Parts: sequence; structure tokens; C-alpha cells
Amino acid sequence: MTDTESTPESTPESNEASAPTAVAVLTHIVRSIVDDPEAVVVDSSINRGKVRLEVRVGPGDLGRVIGRRGRTAQSIRTVVRAAATRDDVEVDVDFAD
Amino acid sequence: MEWVETTGKTIAEAKERALDQLGVHEEDAEFELLDEPKQGLFGRVRGEARVRARVRPTQARQKVDRRDRRREKGDRAEKAESTPKTDKVERTERASRPAATTSQRATGERQRAPRPPRSDSPAPKKNTNPSADGQSKEQLVDARQVGEEAQRFMNALVSAFGLAGTSELVEDGDDLEVRVHGAELGLLVGPRGTTLQAVQDLARVASQRRLGDHDTRLRVDVGGYRERRRGALGKFAVQMADEVKESGVARVLEPMSSADRKIIHDTLSTTEGIATRSEGDDPFRRVVIAPAND
Repeated sequence: MTDTESTPESTPESNEASAPTAVAVLTHIVRSIVDDPEAVVVDSSINRGKVRLEVRVGPGDLGRVIGRRGRTAQSIRTVVRAAATRDDVEVDVDFAD
Repeated sequence: MEWVETTGKTIAEAKERALDQLGVHEEDAEFELLDEPKQGLFGRVRGEARVRARVRPTQARQKVDRRDRRREKGDRAEKAESTPKTDKVERTERASRPAATTSQRATGERQRAPRPPRSDSPAPKKNTNPSADGQSKEQLVDARQVGEEAQRFMNALVSAFGLAGTSELVEDGDDLEVRVHGAELGLLVGPRGTTLQAVQDLARVASQRRLGDHDTRLRVDVGGYRERRRGALGKFAVQMADEVKESGVARVLEPMSSADRKIIHDTLSTTEGIATRSEGDDPFRRVVIAPAND
């Protein structure tokens, strides 16, 4: 746990979110459940020492990704968080269309 | 609504307090044991005895009604989760489903509500009214196709994790199981199988839902976890059932996933003298083991 305030975002690697496993897993899952896999984009950024992964999907696919009562979204978060332990980071996953 | 929940150092003390609250004699109350005053299996860490109690309904017949009502409530809750608008249609369809299918599905589900096998696949394939479930994908999907899609999903997931594993597809009619074998797959199972449950959900979305399939039952196992879990849970269920038979007091188990609840129901489905049911809403839905004449 490093003090995030003393490591500003301008240091070379801090802006480059490094959670390759989490990103690979997230991308695979979302592409596997949407109608338009080509439209899936995953962006990562660092936010207070956590990696924030933002998924954008094609129009109409957000419902599929979120699922009833957010159940699919919750499952995605669970699995992606597990994957992120291989990257030694904590991740947050957000969805948008 | 009329249930009260109390705790005490011993079961007797907890019962005493419940009776005080209800203001009735012990013989006019009915109890369910929520927790024993000791550490137990499967995460029961409460030090205190916890019971819930209520005034015993006067007639046996009412109890049957009540249980049905509870089932219906559960049923409705699950519908709300799916597509409320199609409620009526689904009900009719289920009623008109061929008897063979119904009895086949009912096997091993004694005491459970006659609901569709999985809450997220309510419409049978032999849908006479294609627009009823609001989906246009009504082509017949071959079970093998669903299984292979799920297997592909799992293989790619394992490699995305940077892990090594091999998978096999076990087919038994509409029952499909993708088993992933490998040495270090614990990450895909997670604490108490929570990650595996999520993985299975996603495999279902990626195969069944994407292909518009409503008939198959898909399960995913990783590193033999479910197999081992089934064994341990089965033993636990039998032990709890014995206690219920001996004491005549129903037991409410910890909240469990649907897969785990099914193991309990299935294990005890042929046990004489007790009946099982589930109550509450996920993720806190729990199995109740009750004396059969309760």
C-alpha cells in the first residue's frame, strides 16, 4: 500500500494501468455475451491506486451485459476481480454504451 | 410477519424469550432453530442460540395453504426477476407442458415449488406463442451446440486467466456439464465457490442465452470442486436431517447458492420424516429442513 498522494499521476507507469489479466478476462467475457463483439472496448485508468476498467459496448448490448437486476454485471465483476489478483491490483469495473 | 426471532445462551433460553414476546405457551408456538449455541460447519460462527417462533396456526389445513402461499410468493418473486408481463402466458404454458417432461423435471424435487427448472429460462422450447417471451430467437437449438459454445467460452476464459487446463463436455440429454481440469485453478473457484458460481452464470449467458436456448441445464465444474462440495454438503445435509428428526424442530440453514441448495434438496428428497424447502430471496435464500408433518 503506497501513499497515493505522494505518487502523482504524472509518473511514467502510474497512468498506464497494468492489469493485463483482468483486461484480457473482461474483454473475453463481454465479447462472448454481446451481439456485437466488434463494438466492445475496454479502457483502463488508475484511480486512487485502483485500476478502473471501463467497458463500452454497442447500442442495445448494455442490457445483456448488465443482466436482470444487474446479475450478469455482478458475475463479471466477481470473475474480473479474481483475475486481477494475478496482476496484483484491485479493479473496479464500469459499464457504458 | 408474525415470526419473532430471539437469541439466548442456550436454545431453551432463546425459546423462553420468544414465548415471552409472543405471550403464549410452548405448545401453542412453533419453532425453527436458526443457530445453535456453538461453532458449526459451513460458516456458522454465532456463539448464541438463535430461534424464531410464532403462534402455531390453529388448523393443520391452514399450514398447507400457508406453505403454498409462500411458494407462490417465491414464484412471483422469480417472475418479477424475469419478465413480469409474460407471467400469465408462462403459467398457462407450464400447465400445458407435456406430462412426461413435467414428471421428469419433478423427480428429486419433492416439496419444491412447481416452477421452471431455472428462473432465467422460463419459456419452454415448444413455445406455441413465439412473441410471448419477448424474444425473436425461437429456432431450435441443439444441446450439443450449447455445450460446445460453453466449452469454447471456458477454454478461452482459462487462457485469458493465463492458466493451463483442459476441458471436457459431459452430455446427458439436456443436462450439460463442462468440466475444466488442471492443477492450479483455485482462482476460478474462489472462496466457497463464489467465483465458480459467477463463471457458471457467465457461461450460461454466453451459450444458452446467446443462442436462444431454453431447454438445456448447463453446469460448470472446475478442478472437481463441485464433486467434492457435493460430497461434503451431502454429509452435512444428512447430519442436519437427523437432528431435525430427533428434535422435531425445523432447522434453517445458512444462505447458499442455488446449486448448493439443490444438493441439499436432492440429498434429502428420499429421506423419510423430513421435508425441505427454500425461502427468502437470493443471495440470502436458505434451505429449511422441517419435520415432515410440520
